[in-house]
Amino acid sequence: MARIVGIDLGTTNSLIATMQGPQPRVIPDPETRQTLLPSVVAYSPEGEVFTGEEAIKREPHLSVERDGAVATVGFPGGGEGAVIRSVKRYMGLDNADLAPADRNRYTFADLSGPVVRFKVGDRVLTPPEISAEILKALKKRAEAVLQEKIDQVVITVPAYFNDGQRQATKDAGLLAGLQVERLVNEPTAASLAYGLQKMASGRVAVFDFGGGTFDVSILSVKDGIFEVLATHGDTHLGGDDIDRAVVDFTFDGLPDLPRTDRHIWNTVRLLAEDAKKILSFQAGVAFELKLPGKTLELKLDRADLERLAAPFIDRTIESCRHALKDAGLQSSDIDAVVLVGGSTRMPLVRRRVQEFFGREPLCSIDPDQVVALGAAVQAGILMGTQGDMLLLDVVPLSLGIETIGGVVERLVFRNTTIPTSVSEMFTTAVDNQTHVDIHVVQGERELAKDCRSLARFKLGPLDPKPAGMPRVAVTFLIDANGILNVMAADEETGRGHMVDVKPSYGLTDEEIERMLEEAIDYGEADIAERLMITARNDAEQILAAVAKQMRDHGGLIDDQERRQIDEMAALVDQARKEDDREKLAALVEELNQLTTPFAERIMDEAIKQALEKKTVQELS
Amino acid sequence: MVQCPSCARRSEPCLVCPQCGGPLPAETDGFTALGLPPKLVIDLDELERAYHTISRRIHPDHFVASPPDVRAASLKGTALLTRSYRILRDSISRGIYWLELKGDKLSESNNRVPAELAELVFEVQEQLAELRASRDQSGDQSKGLAANMLHVRQDLDIAMNRALDELNGNFRRWDSGAASEASLRGELKAVLARIAYLRTLIRDVDRELETVEAA
Repeated sequence: MARIVGIDLGTTNSLIATMQGPQPRVIPDPETRQTLLPSVVAYSPEGEVFTGEEAIKREPHLSVERDGAVATVGFPGGGEGAVIRSVKRYMGLDNADLAPADRNRYTFADLSGPVVRFKVGDRVLTPPEISAEILKALKKRAEAVLQEKIDQVVITVPAYFNDGQRQATKDAGLLAGLQVERLVNEPTAASLAYGLQKMASGRVAVFDFGGGTFDVSILSVKDGIFEVLATHGDTHLGGDDIDRAVVDFTFDGLPDLPRTDRHIWNTVRLLAEDAKKILSFQAGVAFELKLPGKTLELKLDRADLERLAAPFIDRTIESCRHALKDAGLQSSDIDAVVLVGGSTRMPLVRRRVQEFFGREPLCSIDPDQVVALGAAVQAGILMGTQGDMLLLDVVPLSLGIETIGGVVERLVFRNTTIPTSVSEMFTTAVDNQTHVDIHVVQGERELAKDCRSLARFKLGPLDPKPAGMPRVAVTFLIDANGILNVMAADEETGRGHMVDVKPSYGLTDEEIERMLEEAIDYGEADIAERLMITARNDAEQILAAVAKQMRDHGGLIDDQERRQIDEMAALVDQARKEDDREKLAALVEELNQLTTPFAERIMDEAIKQALEKKTVQELS
Repeated sequence: MVQCPSCARRSEPCLVCPQCGGPLPAETDGFTALGLPPKLVIDLDELERAYHTISRRIHPDHFVASPPDVRAASLKGTALLTRSYRILRDSISRGIYWLELKGDKLSESNNRVPAELAELVFEVQEQLAELRASRDQSGDQSKGLAANMLHVRQDLDIAMNRALDELNGNFRRWDSGAASEASLRGELKAVLARIAYLRTLIRDVDRELETVEAA
């Protein structure tokens, strides 16, 4: 079987790794010997593409000369063409999801469409196209080192990536000419790397705090089976956020430093990142920033950094709490804690994780490499070289469909083991309807409008039939990559076909975060709204039924009764437009009682007629 | 009979081909999927072992380079396997699933308070109302009420454990075949309805306690 390699397509850095005998190895650049490829892509005005360090040189910045902890900053450099950093943040996103800060940083094209598009010179590029450049560079690197053609890969994604973000990652692979054999969740991949070394078994918590994303996964590792019990996270929470807080703090402390100059801003951002790294080993750091006509000093000590980072770290700990709760465990049930991602190098992060789980976390495998190594192990599993090892992962967000009144019917609950499938029967609501619209959403809220739209599709064409007669079985299958596939089959004809489901767009981390938080905060408000919708549906049904019966069986009702029913129906009709559920429910009940004698007469009549028919049939 | 896409031989519906060990495209009930007899009392370790063993045989990770029909059987079979495992692992969902297999179901619209719980429900509702009403009042008073609430929470746990014991008793009677199916089914529905009711109550109480804690 052809070789499959593992790729960690990170927010800040990307790596490629492969199994070498029984061990996974990261493949370094053949010239520079660097293992990390910075996830930065630059497009020159002439249309040339650069990745990694070559791309960083083209970012607008001031030249920086370092001597130990002293950096002397001089004349402007770079700044031609377009340089895109952290493109992973934009994977599977919709234009509406872009923050003002994004729009300041990059130029976007066509802000109306459902997919983010970067404007690069006269080209328009989507995030998967830009990510594909990183993948191509890694592929080239592996081919040069391994001296063979590489076209099958495993790519890692944050566990909390939704369907759209996963789809976008797969698309990036396709665009780079790679067959993506599997998407693996980053924390799970890390557990494979540790598991292979037999360093983590039993109940394992993986704390993965990277440049742009945060995930925590709780696994049960037993006899080579890595079973994810629960996962939680935030696809927009990472070291980047801490850097940005440091940048803001720096500008706040130096009113003379012009914040709007892109060269200066970028330089301060680079220094902030450096300062953060240095402060993992030292108590303080100072940079001299030499600008034309003045010299400014940037100073930061560890206490400042920890104060700035604390709110972000609080959020990661909150996620751990959620994941444990969903796994049905206490922190004391955890046998091993694994640290993954560059941001876990911060002493404060290690302290807080240790405090929360009550045990010292493992970090013996380089936290920058462990995900790529795990991806290589998963590639080995797919190639059949890893013996009994098997990974059973979960879907991070619930999946449901929108039903009458915008209420979500949940079909797959979050933390369900994948692959998984569920079948649902659909029918028509009116006579001769030839299509049924289905709206699939992802999220934890009660109402579709509060969840993330995942896909819309039409079932059909159906043969024209009375309402409720056609029966189409739809199977929603989430594959081992965490991506939704939909199949539909007409029950009567058995005619089956794949339904082409186009994702509406990806979910933003803020949205997922908001959805989950609100699901907890607004649980009660949601339920009230849901009850109101149900009451309105009931009212509409009874009004329609009463109107139909009065039309069809007018002879069974006298004028006074008719007047009374009309009056009550008018009251119900009025109340359903208001927001008082109890009043509406009471009026519906009254209308129900008022029409009961009438309904009984209709029933009697129907039975009488049926008996008459029978008699006629028996006689003939 | 199902035909194996790997070896083309036919066998009784199950997920692993008894002839060649490959994945079979079968639609089975959850017990058959896991290769277990249709019994309600289940040893959870045994269930997990069965789940892991069959996963190792049919998981899509092992069929990346196989023909499309084998890959499809692997994907569908694994989806059915994981779903079945999830249902059978929990005694409550197992009971509900059992009713479904018998062509019956737990009615969702039935919100009547189960008679055995009337007294407890009344107490919980009263305490919840008091606690909610005290939200704006002094800390001491609401602390006292929260302490009472914790007692009620323990009573709920006791009632839940009792109901789960009854559920297990019912399971054993089904398996032994000692009683009539109709009476067992009625009993199963009653105890599951009670569990569902208790679960809702516990959720409400926990939510209220969390609110108090947060404040």
